[in-house]
Amino acid sequence: MLVVAIEKERTFEKVAIVSFLTILFILSALLMLVSCLALLLTKNIMHACTFLLAALLGVAGLYLTLHADTLAVTQVLVYVGGVVILMLFAVVLTGGQDQESITKEKFPHLAPLFGSKSTFLKAFLVSMIFFVAAASLLRLGEKEIVHVVAVNYAPTIQSLGQLLMTDYLFAFELVSVLLLGALIGAALIARPMKK
Amino acid sequence: MVSLSSFLFLSFVLFLTGLMLVLGRKSIIFVLIGLELILNAAALNFVAYSRFVTEKLDGHLFALFIIVIAAAEAAVALALAIRFYQLKETTHLDELSELKH
Repeated sequence: MLVVAIEKERTFEKVAIVSFLTILFILSALLMLVSCLALLLTKNIMHACTFLLAALLGVAGLYLTLHADTLAVTQVLVYVGGVVILMLFAVVLTGGQDQESITKEKFPHLAPLFGSKSTFLKAFLVSMIFFVAAASLLRLGEKEIVHVVAVNYAPTIQSLGQLLMTDYLFAFELVSVLLLGALIGAALIARPMKK
Repeated sequence: MVSLSSFLFLSFVLFLTGLMLVLGRKSIIFVLIGLELILNAAALNFVAYSRFVTEKLDGHLFALFIIVIAAAEAAVALALAIRFYQLKETTHLDELSELKH
């Protein structure tokens, strides 16, 4: 009796975790898709940096649904704390003027794809509807494949560190040299100009 | 619901957005944003395959290296953008036609 109760509780726990992962997946995928669309539509560089931030946060959420906890944290630290801030600095230092899209001038027949927001939205909606319809049709024909993996919720950072110090030691050292070179190069390139 | 193909679709959308930004914009900073998205799509593919196919951690390490390289690339490219602005007072890519001022 007790065993059955414990089993029931365990399956409930598993279902709860799975549905939580599904919700997390849907939320991060929506965040990523919406900010990708906004990135394509905006012409303001400042707004584009914000949408880039949202898209990268969405990718971090996707890493979490893939059980890549270390990568999700690294993504947030490096991109949100580093790259996007650098981009904002560059935007502010270069004036941040709005830029026209290239397609209006050089490829007028492609302009509706990029130019008018309403046509773009309509095309996007139609393609999404087609994608969903095709996916569900494919799904009907597909056999039910249940992916049974011994799901491991253990943190990955320890095994990642061990791999980094054994199999990938050379790449690790190479990347550190690359980072040093990039640091020196960036400081050298962006130094104030001599008159 | 959450399968390999859904992640592949998401990374495809990410890659396509990056490609459209790289090809369609004239501002150097928009092009850099597009490059970041393309690199992220590659990293997402690595992690998705390592979760659903190989079930080892090697894909995570590749994604880690991609993130580091993207950071280095962003630092150098933004320094170049600032230098370019110092020389030409604009970030328009059509003005970027000579190596030396």
